[in-house]
Amino acid sequence: MTERTVDPPPRPARAPLPGPADPAASPIRYPLGPLELPVGPPRTPLHRAERCEGTGACARACPTDAISVDRSLGPTVVELDYGKCLFCGLCIDACPSGAMASVRFEEMAVRDRADLRLRHGPPSPPLAGSRLADEVRERVRRLYGDSLAIRAVDAGSCNGCEVEVAALLWPRYDLERLGIQLVASPRHADALIVTGPVTRNMRLALEKTYRAVPGPSFVVAVGACGISGGPFRDSPEVEGGVDRVLPVEVYVPGCPPSPVSLLYGLWLALGKVDQRLARGEIPADALRSPPR
Amino acid sequence: MTPPAEEGEEPPLEPAPAVALAGDFPSRPTPAEERRSLGALGLDPVWDPSEDLWRVDVPPEGWVAAAVGASDALQHPLSTLFGEAPREAPGTIRVHALFLGIRPSGGVHLRCALDPPRPTLPTLSTTLPYVAPFERELTEMFGVDVSGLADRRPLLLHEHHPNPPLRPGPASAPDGRRVEYSFRPVEGEGIYEVPVGPVHAGVIEPGHFRFQVVGEKILNLEARLGYTHKGTERLFEGKPSDLGSIWAESVSGDMSLAGAAAYAYAVERALDVAVPPGDEVVRGLLLETERIAFLLGDVAGIALDVGYAAGAARANRLREAAYQTLRAATGSRLGRGTIGVGGLRRPIRGNLDPDLATTYARWREAIGRLRDEWLGKSSVVDRLEGTGEISRWVAELMHFVGPVARASGLRIDLRHDRPYGAYVGTEVRVPRGLTGDVRARLVVKVEEIVESCRLAEEFLRRLPADRSPLEPRRPPSPGERRSGLGWVESPRGEFLVHVTIGPDARLERVHVRDPSFLNWPAIEFAVRGAILPDFPLCNKSLNLSYSGYDR
Ligand code: SF4
Ligand code: SF4
Repeated sequence: MTERTVDPPPRPARAPLPGPADPAASPIRYPLGPLELPVGPPRTPLHRAERCEGTGACARACPTDAISVDRSLGPTVVELDYGKCLFCGLCIDACPSGAMASVRFEEMAVRDRADLRLRHGPPSPPLAGSRLADEVRERVRRLYGDSLAIRAVDAGSCNGCEVEVAALLWPRYDLERLGIQLVASPRHADALIVTGPVTRNMRLALEKTYRAVPGPSFVVAVGACGISGGPFRDSPEVEGGVDRVLPVEVYVPGCPPSPVSLLYGLWLALGKVDQRLARGEIPADALRSPPR
Repeated sequence: MTPPAEEGEEPPLEPAPAVALAGDFPSRPTPAEERRSLGALGLDPVWDPSEDLWRVDVPPEGWVAAAVGASDALQHPLSTLFGEAPREAPGTIRVHALFLGIRPSGGVHLRCALDPPRPTLPTLSTTLPYVAPFERELTEMFGVDVSGLADRRPLLLHEHHPNPPLRPGPASAPDGRRVEYSFRPVEGEGIYEVPVGPVHAGVIEPGHFRFQVVGEKILNLEARLGYTHKGTERLFEGKPSDLGSIWAESVSGDMSLAGAAAYAYAVERALDVAVPPGDEVVRGLLLETERIAFLLGDVAGIALDVGYAAGAARANRLREAAYQTLRAATGSRLGRGTIGVGGLRRPIRGNLDPDLATTYARWREAIGRLRDEWLGKSSVVDRLEGTGEISRWVAELMHFVGPVARASGLRIDLRHDRPYGAYVGTEVRVPRGLTGDVRARLVVKVEEIVESCRLAEEFLRRLPADRSPLEPRRPPSPGERRSGLGWVESPRGEFLVHVTIGPDARLERVHVRDPSFLNWPAIEFAVRGAILPDFPLCNKSLNLSYSGYDR
């Protein structure tokens, strides 16, 4: 190709990249290396049963009914569903007894929806098990462990989750270094990553996209919307979560989940890491950064 | 290529202006003059301080004359049109049309009460063509019969929709009727159709595009949206007025802060809530940071679509840094849950890095260097010049807003024209293109990033030294029915929120007008006559919000 000069400014000296001067933008090694959480006030709500007085102020403040406080059975039962949580912090501001704190914790993805539900109170009967049988899970790991092609589907999100899914391709997160590719067609994909509450207008398209994926495939539900409908869960125009329509293998909470949360969720789907959240309890080592 | 702008001088963006534009900011009538010209139309306006508009009630017969007259008298087009089922008059429908003047204050708010049994309203779309989508929405949501409206297809509700969901009165059961959607036919020898979507190839929102093509040339494009319709406006209803920002920031999630701010201003105006000046400055800082991150995404997207991966990677590094700055300040990378009614939800001044100003200065330089470097690459510029042109005439006729309008030569920006919060008394330089093509949009967006960095630096200087945390404040209860209008220049342009708050301090009706509701037709104009492979580039340069349109 011949060079044709359209705008001939004096060619500037090669601009230095916003490299070391901008540590915020430099590549991370996670999940292959340690997790370094970026600075900023913590946003994950944490319920501390020992301080709870059962006022129910948090439940009344919550915009998505993620918290319920029940005293009708005698002892207070507090349930917090991270699958509905928007990480807005209103419950923390509302709690008069300081029982709601916030922590920095991003490795929140789970395989079993029930593991997003925290329950503080007398023991309750065990909840239903996870969705994919272990043998299928093993097959997923064998087939896709080192090379996974995923197709992102927006099932009616607000575009907040799209920002973070797209960020996985930015130099800092660079999804492809992990052997994971975002592909353009479901026919090239091994798995789907679905955002949004599944609007009635997108339901058919989502189902068709799923059917176009060659099996065995799995689905990752992203964000409060993808898990439970999020802020839109009361609307008659939405189905209220991906698992109302498709079987979901991994749930990634957040509104939107950070790129690090998404990396963890994909790594969990591939069976490369252990799930950290169990029955909604944040592991003790994550609480070492003092709650604020 | 023009040299970089000197400090304090309007940045010239385009080489050799094709048209010389006289009078960048046309003189607009003052509110007093507006009142007189409205009076000359036989209208009797009442000043509404919570909206900064003249409010006029008109009967359906006088609707067209009043609306067209107001639009002419104010020299400003209709900003939004929406229906309401007023609580104080059950069973009726009231239609609102807002005309925001391009001045710090003034404009008109027309209201029209419709007859309950057969609500009919004459169309405005024959005189003001861009009003048609508003009227289609009014028809499908409220069952208003807009007489004379040529396009009666549903806008947001798809085939399975029941009866108009917002029509007052007893809810009628879905009648199971399917309204088939037909695209505008374009026929002739050699013309074929290319359907695209709703699921697209990239990580973007869903929508359907129907192209009619000859060879590679696009004769016509029709976008069909509504796929992300979530009934958001209905979700506000019945919520306490300080909680509504949760939904306002989920209208267009990539502009969460702008949505939350527009909502907050609407409620604050309705309820007369004073915001501490320090909080306003922080709001301004956050809004500019959001704009920087957002526009860097557009820059990266354009780079990617012309195959300039190095430019995209560098823009995305800066973008990541901007999101991390927001996270460091607020705890959320998109700044969610931060802007509340009455100020900030939680104190964040203590989180700000004392060196933040140098960060913005560094970004300003980095983006300037990036611009110079890639506008020096002929293979890049070649793809941008003349692609996706939107003439100034079309931009004005269709009332486009934001960077799209500015790239076509219109100098409109609410931060300058109708300043709010921290922008009152702040000089905002509004860049403007001339050619209306992808290159003009790119250059305008780059200049806006530079200007946003400068504004952020200025806001940091104005931050009160006092870093004591502020008490979160709750808005007072209204005690009577109040309404208010909030406006914010979001990264995509004019973002409007209109609220009605009942005597119990709960929201009765919230209307959100995302800038993309006005701008979506731009894509249809931009690709007409272009080749099919240029569509992604045009699309990226316009960056329209699907969720903001559909809500
Ligand atoms: S942080 Fe989560 S649980 Fe708490 S109020 Fe917000 S949405 Fe509800
Ligand atoms: S989870 Fe939050 S960010 Fe994601 S789509 Fe839903 S509202 Fe938007």
